[in-house]
Amino acid sequence: MKTVIAILFFIICGPCMSQPNKNIAASKMVKIDGGSFKTFYVSKTDKPIIVKPFLMDEHAVTNVEFLEFVKANPEWSKSKVKRLFADSNYLEHWKTDFDIGESNKNIYNSPVVNVSWFAARAYCAWKNKRLPAIAEWEIAGNAPPKNTAYTSITNYIMQWYEKPSLPVLPNVKSTYCNTYGLYDMHGLIWEWTFDFNSFISTGDSRNTTNDDNNLFCAGASINVTNREDYAAFLRYGFRGSLRGDYCVSSLGFRCVKNIPITNKL
Amino acid sequence: MKRNRIIAFMALAFTVSMLAASCKNSNSTAADDKVTGQEIAELAYAPMVPKPITRTHATNVIVNLNVVEKIMKLSDSTEYMFWTFGGAVPGNFIRVREGDEVEINLYNLPQNKLSHSIDLHAVNGPGGGAEASNVAPGHTSTFHFKALNPGLFVYHCATAPVPMHIANGMYGLIYVQPKEGLPAVDREYYLMQGEFYTKQSFGFKGFQEFDEEKGINERPDYVVFNGSVNANAGKNALPAKVGETVRLFVGNGGPNLVSSFHVIGEIFDKVYLEGGETTTTNIQTTLIPAGGAAIAEFKINIPGVYNIVDHSIFRTFNKGCLAQIKATGGRDTLIFRKN
Repeated sequence: MKTVIAILFFIICGPCMSQPNKNIAASKMVKIDGGSFKTFYVSKTDKPIIVKPFLMDEHAVTNVEFLEFVKANPEWSKSKVKRLFADSNYLEHWKTDFDIGESNKNIYNSPVVNVSWFAARAYCAWKNKRLPAIAEWEIAGNAPPKNTAYTSITNYIMQWYEKPSLPVLPNVKSTYCNTYGLYDMHGLIWEWTFDFNSFISTGDSRNTTNDDNNLFCAGASINVTNREDYAAFLRYGFRGSLRGDYCVSSLGFRCVKNIPITNKL
Repeated sequence: MKRNRIIAFMALAFTVSMLAASCKNSNSTAADDKVTGQEIAELAYAPMVPKPITRTHATNVIVNLNVVEKIMKLSDSTEYMFWTFGGAVPGNFIRVREGDEVEINLYNLPQNKLSHSIDLHAVNGPGGGAEASNVAPGHTSTFHFKALNPGLFVYHCATAPVPMHIANGMYGLIYVQPKEGLPAVDREYYLMQGEFYTKQSFGFKGFQEFDEEKGINERPDYVVFNGSVNANAGKNALPAKVGETVRLFVGNGGPNLVSSFHVIGEIFDKVYLEGGETTTTNIQTTLIPAGGAAIAEFKINIPGVYNIVDHSIFRTFNKGCLAQIKATGGRDTLIFRKN
């Protein structure tokens, strides 16, 4: 009960209540505490990953933000991009190379999707940032919502998977905010991670190793710490289906960066 | 005398070699078949089955399957977010011939949210194709297998969490027709049982979400044939005529329940047990395990409605597990009459 009251308190007083839509492109970053991270899916010999504190974009990169990047780096425009780095779905929802399109006005501030891992990585580098590691993303994403009612984070996430995609992708900051102050970590889009498919194969991603079948069939239940975390299964299964050049209509990204030593955040 | 022995020895050697040759012939594996040509598999939606394969050689068969996540009716008043092969539950019926080389192209529609895969029980090889076929939305995965074993097999999605993918409707049947084919019948139908776990109980009006806890506890709210309550009952009953022989290709997607498959008012003249080679006759109820199948045949003698049920009968009475055959034609009062 105390928790409920605490959550309510946050709903009323939390900083997430203010949604500065006008400054949405400012891409504020928030500090994420590091810690020891163990995926829900590990072998008994796996040691926890130590994650240092880092900064993370409070929301996913938007179409408008990505357009700035493309304008500054025309090699990442729809017509110029190398097929090796982005498949034919790359930015397919944009009107032209440097125009999202007047009819797409309502998605200017929605997460950019249909972007490959290579493009996302290039964007982050351009911003002097980088893509989050799975461990970083999971630590950040596992923080509970603070401005929405929920029974468990898993249940909250599952509701997204159980509904069809909306015809128009909502803007960033349109779902929940978590206790770090991060928006839409679940329930709006999937997000790229730097090492998105590293969990599924230690060698390469062409099924040459024996450890890559653990997410399929009954193998999935062998080493799992929480068999009931279906949302995590879906997330890891999704990441495992990706390749670096893939562009998917529900897949975007946000950037992170290391905390500078002089910075007293 | 010595010469006779030599002749006898030679005769023996000849006989042995002949026997060996004939043994080899009768045991010839599908791998020995020469594969010629190529064709695109004709896929069918339940309750229909693709027509029998008449060619007498193995070929390259291309199977193009789409993965579709969509809201459909679970009953007249209930909707559910189904994950499907081909946009329907059960998924497309695939029919190939023993010895065929099959190419599976699995296309995950761009508007889908999740990655999916396919594990066909007709495949010899780890995962049944699951790892090879895991595919992101907007993309296609391709893998090949040789249909070595004839029989009726279940296929299903095998991406984690597997129980949820199956519980949401991701299963179907593939029939690997034996080289010699099956005896001709008048009608072939496709039925597949599966159960659904919803937040609210049976009969709730409106949209329903998957309930993980009920799935884990194996307590479904809906048990249905062909993806929804009354999918093939009432006005959608399967038509047949008196005097016809009906062959049912029946699968059980589960994910949990084992089916006591029964047709009320009929005796199965022949059942291909668990979808394999062994046939048995005069069967009332045949057991179909989750992830298993059976082929049941019977001749219809009397007109009327035949209820197809899971004879674990609460499932029929309270959870929707009913399909029907509606037979028309003349009445044979020697076989059945009411006084």
